[in-house]
Amino acid sequence: MDYPIWNLAMGGGVLIGIVAITHVIVSHFAVGGGFAIAVIETLAVRRRNPAWRALAKRGSLMLILVSTVFGAISGVGIWVTIGLVQPAATSALIHNYVWGWAAEWGFFILEVVTALLYYATWDKVRPRTHLVIIWLYFFAAYMSLVIIQGILSFMLTPGRWLETHSFWDGIFNPSYLPGIVLRTGICLFLAGAYLTLAALRERDRRARVPMVRLLAGFQVVGVLLAYGGYRWWEHVLPGSVQAIFTGATPLLPALASTRHLALWALAAYLLVALFAAAVPRLHLWPTAVVAMLAGFAFFGGYERLREGARKPFVIRDFMFSNGILVSQIPDFDSRGVLANAVWAARGSEASQVAKGRAVFRAECASCHTIDGYLSIRKLVAPVDPDMLSGILATMREEGNEYAKGTYTHRGHVATDKLDYPLMPPLVGTEAEQEALATYLLTLKPSHGAEATNAD
Amino acid sequence: MPTNLIPALDPAPLPGPPWLFQVLWVLTFFIHIVFVNTVLGGTLLAALAGLARGGRRETRTLFVEVNSWAISLAITFGIAPLLFIQVVLGRFFYTATILVAWAWLGMLVLLTVGYYLNYVAKFRLRAGEGVGALLVVEAGCFLAIAAIQVTVNLLHLQPGRWGAVADNVWAALADRTFAPRYLHFVLAAVAMAGALAAWVAVRRAGKGGDAAACRGMAQFGIRAALVATLLQLVDGFWLLLALPEEVLRSFMRGGAATMAPLGIGIMAGVLLLVVLAGISDPLAQPTRVRHVAELIVGAMIFMVVTRHQLRDFYLASSRAGENVTVAPQLGPLALFLAVFVVCVGLTIWVLVRAAKDRPAPGEGAA
Repeated sequence: MDYPIWNLAMGGGVLIGIVAITHVIVSHFAVGGGFAIAVIETLAVRRRNPAWRALAKRGSLMLILVSTVFGAISGVGIWVTIGLVQPAATSALIHNYVWGWAAEWGFFILEVVTALLYYATWDKVRPRTHLVIIWLYFFAAYMSLVIIQGILSFMLTPGRWLETHSFWDGIFNPSYLPGIVLRTGICLFLAGAYLTLAALRERDRRARVPMVRLLAGFQVVGVLLAYGGYRWWEHVLPGSVQAIFTGATPLLPALASTRHLALWALAAYLLVALFAAAVPRLHLWPTAVVAMLAGFAFFGGYERLREGARKPFVIRDFMFSNGILVSQIPDFDSRGVLANAVWAARGSEASQVAKGRAVFRAECASCHTIDGYLSIRKLVAPVDPDMLSGILATMREEGNEYAKGTYTHRGHVATDKLDYPLMPPLVGTEAEQEALATYLLTLKPSHGAEATNAD
Repeated sequence: MPTNLIPALDPAPLPGPPWLFQVLWVLTFFIHIVFVNTVLGGTLLAALAGLARGGRRETRTLFVEVNSWAISLAITFGIAPLLFIQVVLGRFFYTATILVAWAWLGMLVLLTVGYYLNYVAKFRLRAGEGVGALLVVEAGCFLAIAAIQVTVNLLHLQPGRWGAVADNVWAALADRTFAPRYLHFVLAAVAMAGALAAWVAVRRAGKGGDAAACRGMAQFGIRAALVATLLQLVDGFWLLLALPEEVLRSFMRGGAATMAPLGIGIMAGVLLLVVLAGISDPLAQPTRVRHVAELIVGAMIFMVVTRHQLRDFYLASSRAGENVTVAPQLGPLALFLAVFVVCVGLTIWVLVRAAKDRPAPGEGAA
């Protein structure tokens, strides 16, 4: 909130989503692909099977091009984008989990070096050494996942950390284990899906069929694990989070649709994977591509759910999506939000409208743009001045409810009981609330016409 | 209304003693910059290899092959200093990056393009095809990344410039230390890559490699390192004199703590120049070539320390009165140290095993 605001027409959250989903698809393949290639090469060595060896080799090129190149860059890309869009939240995470990230970095060193070494030592070292390298790679890659899952799940279900602020309470939060199971399943099915494309390049049908069947096995197991992990994950979410995207009248219908799409995609994936396992000789490019797309749809949908279900927080029950802490509400209500939002308040002394614009920048601009994503101009267009004042007053009142813990249920804020369950409350003085209303009214399309008529 | 644009300190305490973060930051930054210099300087020399009298293809192949893993390692070892700067100076760092957000984000695109171009060049070189234009574009990508890094670095040090940059983003470049600092960065990279090329050529010649090609590559590397170091000495003094007066004064008054690393770094540079000037035939003077590499690494160590000290002087007034609370997370810290030691140990072990393990005659390879 007291950082400069990067005005991005597509919305910062959308940018984070694009970079993050791209990265996780690659990084989960990096984990699962490592396991699948290790299994394939182990079988190749034991059975002295050159076709399986060739598949492992083809897969390894894909692994380094996708994981050590694109995965490494997109991983840094997440850092870059969250630092630009959510600096306060990034800072909070860093202060709590820097040693976790540093440990993950240790595993990442081993992961990158073994990936490069594995590809570089084909035809150069004994098979046993080569197998050691790929199994080490898989170990390092999976351990990275084990650590990062703690930090990712913490943001949605911080659990006992809210009371203790303990590193371990934050890492081993309620959705940690379900997420591990879910992501392990995703790693397996993505590995099966990608490597099937490599297996289909095998021209000898007798050699190809068992490959496709093995990889179908990865996908079936992966889909079942992912489904079980997903259900478990959903089960451990607080009721107010579940209310956002489940039930007869979900608070955010778009997110509920995403959930349906994701689960149907997983069901479709299971059917295709079973088909591939049953009749591998008929599992060719079209069905392999369908399987992969279904996997992407489920995974992308789950990530969108996980991100969207945090609303109105960026760290559930602790920090709102605009960077304001729940604990800061009373202070901001008495001293004013602009006293603490140095960048948003820049140059806002001149007029009531300028002051209102500053409040908008401080509290709303992290999600709303003027004319682009979640356009505030479109949202205020049908609202008259009295209605707008009423909305803002209610939102400000909800700040008190957060501060007092009026709707706390089992240690969580029961956001579903609020009138605006997906929006951070409006904090600040009454004067700032009025200034915001004045500014928002200037965005109404009729405002320009009225001003012209008055002239 | 507030006029100070520095965001408030994060309310969460530091999860370890500040000195530990500083030490880890400097150490990991040094490893990162070794790979960065290899990539940046190597790509530039590969692009300029046409100027060499011999061993052009070998020089290009060397750097393109090296880059295919050095870029990954530069990124991997960049993660740690990126973590530690955010812990210690997050509010300065985030603000600087947001002010030049598009450039900061664009860095990822440049990195992706540069890395994949390197792979294209690698496969084309293996197929015996030309790569000149590819390498020029790749070098352009890495030069632009270096410029963005220098810009953000200078910006996070000087909150007094933030307002002007917020009003006009091009003001980010209006820093009189930008040009000498950028040159300092690029010239160091060229010198290091030149030394690397010469060292590899000498080793290859010793193992029976094509003498003419090795000589051409070694001479090209030494010449590049010599020219870069000569220019570096001039540029280094330009940079020193371009520093803001209060920063320079604080630095000079720092006594042995600041003057020793700088002095040793400059002396290593001068000595490097002398050694480089004395190399007439690199293949016949392998010891001198090795000294070149050692002096460059030595100079880099001290310059990294100096760079870190300068940062403190730049930010001294902005951080005055900063009341940092510390609540060490001993368990997680122990976890990190254990993981780090185990992973680095395993990395070294597996590298050694792979280097030594060769199938016996008649035995199949993986």
